Amino acid sequence: MEIAAWELWVRSTWLHKLVVQHEPWVWPACEIIHYLGLSLLLGTVGLFDLRVLGVAKGIPLRAIHRLIPWGIAGYILNILTGIVFFAGHPDQYFYNNAFRLKALFMGVAGANILAFYGTNVFAEMKKLPDNGIPSLQTKIIAGTSLSMWIAVLVCGRLLTFFRPPFFH
Amino acid sequence: MDPIFAWIESSALSEWIRGECLCAFPTIITIHTICMGLLAGGSSAIDLRILGFAPGIPLERTLGFLPVLWVAFAVNAVTGTILLIAYPTKQLTNPVFYVKVALIAFAVWLFYRVGKEIALSPEVEQKSISGKAKVLAFASLASWIALIIAGRLLQYTHKWEMLGVPSLI
Repeated sequence: MEIAAWELWVRSTWLHKLVVQHEPWVWPACEIIHYLGLSLLLGTVGLFDLRVLGVAKGIPLRAIHRLIPWGIAGYILNILTGIVFFAGHPDQYFYNNAFRLKALFMGVAGANILAFYGTNVFAEMKKLPDNGIPSLQTKIIAGTSLSMWIAVLVCGRLLTFFRPPFFH
Repeated sequence: MDPIFAWIESSALSEWIRGECLCAFPTIITIHTICMGLLAGGSSAIDLRILGFAPGIPLERTLGFLPVLWVAFAVNAVTGTILLIAYPTKQLTNPVFYVKVALIAFAVWLFYRVGKEIALSPEVEQKSISGKAKVLAFASLASWIALIIAGRLLQYTHKWEMLGVPSLI
C-alpha cells in the first residue's frame, strides 16, 4: 500500500524520528504518563459526574467542581502523549477503527463540555444552594461525560487489538 | 518451566483467556484499566482535598465515594487474578510483578487508612486537618503513582519468548 502524503509528512517530523530512535524508553515513559493522566481525568471529572448523578450527596456541586482543573491537567498530559504515539506510528492509529471511534467519542465529550459551559447550565448549577438538586440537563451532561470518557478509555485500551495488518 | 505455572497455563480457563475472543483478554484488561482509573484517580482526588485543594468539599462527605471505589478495587482484584491465570509464567517470573503486588497492598492499605482517618474526625471542618492525615494522603498519592508506573512497566519487562506465546499487545 502506498504511503499517503499526510503520513509521509508525519514521518518527516523531528518528533517521529525522536520516537523511533528512542522507542524503548520513550514509548513506556509516555504510556506511564498517559495512564497517570487518564486516572487524573477519570478520578476528578468522574467523581464530579458521580456527585451530579447522586453519589456523595452532601458535597456542594460548586466545591467538587474545583477538582476539575486536575482533570484538565490529566487531559492535557494525554493529548501531549497521544501526539507522541501518533507521531511515532501514525498508520497504527489512522487506519484503526478503534482509534477512529476513540476520536469520535472524544468529539462527543468535547461537545458535551460545550453544552455544559457554553450554555447557562453551568451558571445555573453554581447558583444552587449547597444541598440543591442539579437540573435534569446537568444530570444528562454528567451521565454523557462519564460514559464518553469510559468509552474513550475502552477504545484506547482496545486499539492494539485492532491494529491494521500492515506497518509502514 | 515451573510445573505449577505450566499446569495453570494449560488449563482450559487460561487458554480461553488467551484465545481469540475479544470478550476474553481484551475485555478483561479494559475493565481492569477502567477500575484502575476510578480507584487510583478517585482516591487521589480525596488525597488532594486533604492536602488543601478544593477546600470547599466537606471532607467527611467524601466518604460517600468510598463504596464506589471499593467496588472498583474488588473488580480489579478479580480481573487481575484472571489476567494472572492467563499468563502465570510471564508475570510470576518478572520481579516487577512482585513490586506491583507490594505496591497494591501498600496503596490499598493507605486508602483504607485515609478513609478511617476521615471517618474518625467528622468535625474536621472546624479544626485543621491533622498532620497524620496529610502524611497518609501524600503517601497514598505517591503509592498510586508508583503502582501505575509498575503496572505499565510489566508490559515492557516480561519475556514472551520463554512462553512461546505470541504477544497480544
